[in-house]
Amino acid sequence: MLTRKKQKSFNLKTVTGLSLGLFGFLLPLIFQFDGLSYAGHIALGIFLMAAVFWMFETIPIYSTSMLVIFLQITLLSQQGLLYSETQLPEAAPEHQSGNEWLVPAGAIQDGKVLVIQDARKYKPLEVNVLETGEMTRVESADISTDTRLVADTRHKLVGYTPPGFSVFFGTLANPIIILFLGGFMLAGASVKYNLDKNLTNVLLKPFGQKPMFIILGLMIVTATLSAFMSNTATTAMMMTVAIPIAMQVSKEDKFRIILALSIPIAANIGGMATPIGTPPNAIVIANLTQQGINIAFGSWVALMLPLTILLLFIAWTAMRILYPPTIDSFKLSLKGSFDKSLKAKILYALFAITVLLWFTEAQHGIPSSMVAFLPIVGLTVTSVMKQEDIRSLPWEVLWLVAGGIALGISMENTGLAMWLVSSISWDAFPQLLLLLVFGFVALMLSNFLSNTVTATLLIPLAVSMGTAGIAGEGFSLVITSLVIGAACNMAMLLPISTPPNAIAMSTGFIKTPDMVKVGIIIGLVGIVAVLVLSQLYWPLIMN
Amino acid sequence: MSDIYIICVEDEPQVLDVVIRDLAKLEEVFPIEIAHSADEARQLISEIKEEGNRIGLAICDHIMPGDKGVDLMIEMQKDPFTEHTRKVLLTGQAGLEETIEAVNKAKLNRYISKPWKPQQILEVAVDELTTYVIEHEKELLPFMAVLDQERIQEAIRSKGYV
Repeated sequence: MLTRKKQKSFNLKTVTGLSLGLFGFLLPLIFQFDGLSYAGHIALGIFLMAAVFWMFETIPIYSTSMLVIFLQITLLSQQGLLYSETQLPEAAPEHQSGNEWLVPAGAIQDGKVLVIQDARKYKPLEVNVLETGEMTRVESADISTDTRLVADTRHKLVGYTPPGFSVFFGTLANPIIILFLGGFMLAGASVKYNLDKNLTNVLLKPFGQKPMFIILGLMIVTATLSAFMSNTATTAMMMTVAIPIAMQVSKEDKFRIILALSIPIAANIGGMATPIGTPPNAIVIANLTQQGINIAFGSWVALMLPLTILLLFIAWTAMRILYPPTIDSFKLSLKGSFDKSLKAKILYALFAITVLLWFTEAQHGIPSSMVAFLPIVGLTVTSVMKQEDIRSLPWEVLWLVAGGIALGISMENTGLAMWLVSSISWDAFPQLLLLLVFGFVALMLSNFLSNTVTATLLIPLAVSMGTAGIAGEGFSLVITSLVIGAACNMAMLLPISTPPNAIAMSTGFIKTPDMVKVGIIIGLVGIVAVLVLSQLYWPLIMN
Repeated sequence: MSDIYIICVEDEPQVLDVVIRDLAKLEEVFPIEIAHSADEARQLISEIKEEGNRIGLAICDHIMPGDKGVDLMIEMQKDPFTEHTRKVLLTGQAGLEETIEAVNKAKLNRYISKPWKPQQILEVAVDELTTYVIEHEKELLPFMAVLDQERIQEAIRSKGYV
């Protein structure tokens, strides 16, 4: 009986999600929004549908990404259904006298006419409107009898130049995706040859046997590993270290809570430290790259590391105060030894070289995603990673990020993102308040949604505020994007907030209120900290 | 998501009571069903199958009226529905030959001899169910609290998903 009930509520959720998503997709096709281009309406439909599917997880989040790309190639690409045969509608201006011309009313928009250059391109021309009517009388010295005007300024090619479909497919080979693939290869090989476990054993030794120092050690090691590996795999691995410790204390001892909480928190925080630490970072970097802003691997670490260290310390202190340990010392049995086979040694070497090259981009100038191809090639050429290992990489994460990047492209080039942010007059906002709003919204959303999805939905908005120049003085695209990215990674209030939280919760050592308590502290302190850094520290690094 | 059942087949009510009591900790995650004979067990298996659920663990006595436990297990091994069910034989009286048959033909996973130590059944059940969920489940977190946490964490780590 119980099972059937579950089944039913599952269906209800799916049906609600599906119908809301479909409604979202159709809404912009039914209603016309002022100031939004035709293509912008379609992009809005795709955006709303994707947002609903990502929020409700009606379909898996990576397949929502695939659907986004599919809709883009069919609806928004130059070769797609809507744009493959389209040309701009032409109208010839009628000569009156001197510089006065008669043009159809539909050809004028905000005192401008659009002069056709070829079938898909036009150039706006400001004219002096003398008399409106079905045929409007305008005055301009730049119009001649050869001039052809766009007859309808609301035509679908106005405000949008459809890119070729390969632009949307290309997101899957975006440099940031390759950077992540390189990271996945290194992480996958590390798990295969137990490099992560053995490193943990070595790194934990100096922290001794005092409970709070063991916790500090666990947190530092977790954060370090999760900066290069997936937060989830790191959490699971560190839990295998923590569980034997937990078994040494009684079930009532609050030290169990600290043990189970410290690891997911550190994994979430550690993901911020490097570009490959966690997927939201990829969204930030990809969006900035599209605006011609490159952030080197080393600069990212320089920007984010102080925040990471600060948050780890705050979380550690908070837990120390909330759950003071009652036990004096622990036996920490750290077993295992490094794999000394040739293949393992190749992995160690490639790992070291790759990380070294990532951090020294300023010296040699090779972009980090090019460096990332070194482990991809190196580990497969030497058979360190075999076919089955490559198959087991988390490819769906790459699809998820690619869909996010693709959605960002359409939000930008159809004018949708700009339209969304331009409804509010942002220049009345002080910069700090603007950052606070973005950070807080990202933090809130990300507690309930996937961190990557939150970044995908919010960062294009920030980018278009920057490119449109509507954000007022002192607006920095990089800083705003980084604040959003960091805020997405600081969301760890609930078990559903991140996969590491879910893992910690499943151990049964902690209850939701424990997680909420520490999560609130990290979220609030984190937002304040990130704002302070954004004003005082980040500008120093970027200049 | 469908449920994963534990089934216990044992003709003596007192023994069955003890087994159920020992496994009580697992029941919130793995529903436990009982059968007093091989025939009852067959019916139970087909009911569980009809409801779209699965059987993760079968703990079975050997000496019972009607078909013997080993025969039931061989049958289960041949049926695709119960092929992957972890099979534990719980008995004091199976001879060497029957035991060999159970290992070879029913791919018996464990053998517990009567009388068993307290906790032994629970330990075996936890271990076998852990193996079952790691091999057959995509989402492992719901099982973490009652099964072998270290092994499940290790499985999540090696699956390496983000």
